[in-house]
Amino acid sequence: MSLVAEAFVSQIAAAEPWPENATLYQQLKGEQILLSDNAASLAVQAFLQMCNLPIKVVCRANAEYMSPSGKVPFIHVGNQVVSELGPIVQFVKAKGHSLSDGLDEVQKAEMKAYMELVNNMLLTAELYLQWCDEATVGEITHARYGSPYPWPLNHILAYQKQWEVKRKMKAIGWGNKTLDQVLEDVDQCCQALSQRLGTQPYFFNKQPTELDALVFGHLYTILTTQLTNDELSEKVKNYSNLLAFCRRIEQHYFEDRGKGSSSIKSS
Amino acid sequence: MAAPFELSCWGGGWGLPSVHSESLVVMAYAKFSGAPLKVNVIDKTWRGSRGDVPILTTEDNIVSQPAKILNFLRKQKYNADYELSAKQGADTLAYIALIEEKLLPAVLHTFWVESDNYFSVTKPWFASRIPFPLSLILPGRISKGALNRILLTRGEPPLYHLREVEAQIYRDAKECLNLLSNRLGTSQFFFGDTPSTLDAYVFGFLAPLYKVRFPKVQLQEHLKQLSNLCRFCDDILNSYFRLSLGGISPAGQETVDANLQKLTQLVNKESNLIEKMDDNLRQSPQLPPRKLPTLKLTPAEEESNSLQRLSP
Repeated sequence: MSLVAEAFVSQIAAAEPWPENATLYQQLKGEQILLSDNAASLAVQAFLQMCNLPIKVVCRANAEYMSPSGKVPFIHVGNQVVSELGPIVQFVKAKGHSLSDGLDEVQKAEMKAYMELVNNMLLTAELYLQWCDEATVGEITHARYGSPYPWPLNHILAYQKQWEVKRKMKAIGWGNKTLDQVLEDVDQCCQALSQRLGTQPYFFNKQPTELDALVFGHLYTILTTQLTNDELSEKVKNYSNLLAFCRRIEQHYFEDRGKGSSSIKSS
Repeated sequence: MAAPFELSCWGGGWGLPSVHSESLVVMAYAKFSGAPLKVNVIDKTWRGSRGDVPILTTEDNIVSQPAKILNFLRKQKYNADYELSAKQGADTLAYIALIEEKLLPAVLHTFWVESDNYFSVTKPWFASRIPFPLSLILPGRISKGALNRILLTRGEPPLYHLREVEAQIYRDAKECLNLLSNRLGTSQFFFGDTPSTLDAYVFGFLAPLYKVRFPKVQLQEHLKQLSNLCRFCDDILNSYFRLSLGGISPAGQETVDANLQKLTQLVNKESNLIEKMDDNLRQSPQLPPRKLPTLKLTPAEEESNSLQRLSP
């Protein structure tokens, strides 16, 4: 969005309080949604729960095409549509709810840096695993991505998306990475997150922030999604404080409100 | 002494040892960790590859990207992060990710995509350091790669248009610079008094932006307003790179003596040559007899005097 459009939107956003019928759109949970999209959607849901804002989750097969930026999830609030965690956080802030107000400048910088780390490494690794690893692509991704559509559309859409993702991987230098290198990067990222978290309940001590929501979204999805092999979730399971962190957020923000989906098996 | 590692990278200019961000990151890290690095600047000869610069060559391996090169140096016990705590190590990774996501697109844009900058500064500079037919192709290829990267990572589908993305990436870059400035505060390096990997990365990305003279300087102006980041770059340049702007390692006593030896040899060779020419001339009948050069002068002066007399 251009600068003017963004200023306009935040003005409008500030005008009204959060309505009761806000909805979050994602792809079909059972058959269609993929690892990376599920992680993003869960992160947004966790964030909204942490802000105590009610949201209804609606699954639509064409969620990706409805979204203004082409990425899921997106929320429909009042008469505005906002997609992706970053803009949603700003939108919610314009409405007067924020999780990171209590942080000072240095902490805010750290929070942004860690969010970029998660996006840079975890999200890219998830995309790589889904779209560039032949085994996963053949068995899981192609089938799931095109499942709501008839033949031959399902194949065409899946190949088109795969081509797009591979192009992006090549542009950022991940095109030549092997699966082992990608898993090593994931391990490094988890190690950094684990060291930053230490023994604290949340990343910035007592109160959760959007960073906690983002990390929870990704780690929980990695831990609970069935892939062709378990290497990715094994990497995360090595860090017990991250497991405890996910369990804590799941209990506090999801199970209490009766929205528990598949829970984490403690290893 | 361990065998020196050879690094091939792009050369320097505007007071910097290298104009290329990634090469500069590796050079800075080598200086901070004390790794002996022999720098081979890419020039117009066909020797060496220009593909995935910077490239580190040792006797058995060839390592290519900055992250991998730094890992390799760490495994060889040249570790600049020795004193960092685990949390600081994690912070390093996070800030590097921040720089790559937010600052790198705008730096790439300033150098390679913005037409004024590209055609008047970047392209001539790189083309002058690449041998002929490749100099017509390689800069263009790097420029297209940069544009591609920016559009694919920042452009919002289905409209991959540059103008919409430009405003966003410059805004992100300015925010990133502000965040780095807040984090640095008044300390000399990011983690205390000794420089580390994060300092190498920040220096590598900021120094070219700070020093290279561009016609369109939006981001540079913003950087110059953040005085602690400018002071950070200047400090590193002065303390670690002052004696080595040509890419040679700092002169120790041995190198000085070696240089003096070489100079003496050169001068002796010259004076031998001059005497030979002199003999030849004396033996040839056409020329009138010449006066022999006086021997009491010092070698350098004698050489210049004789040369003056011998010139036609």
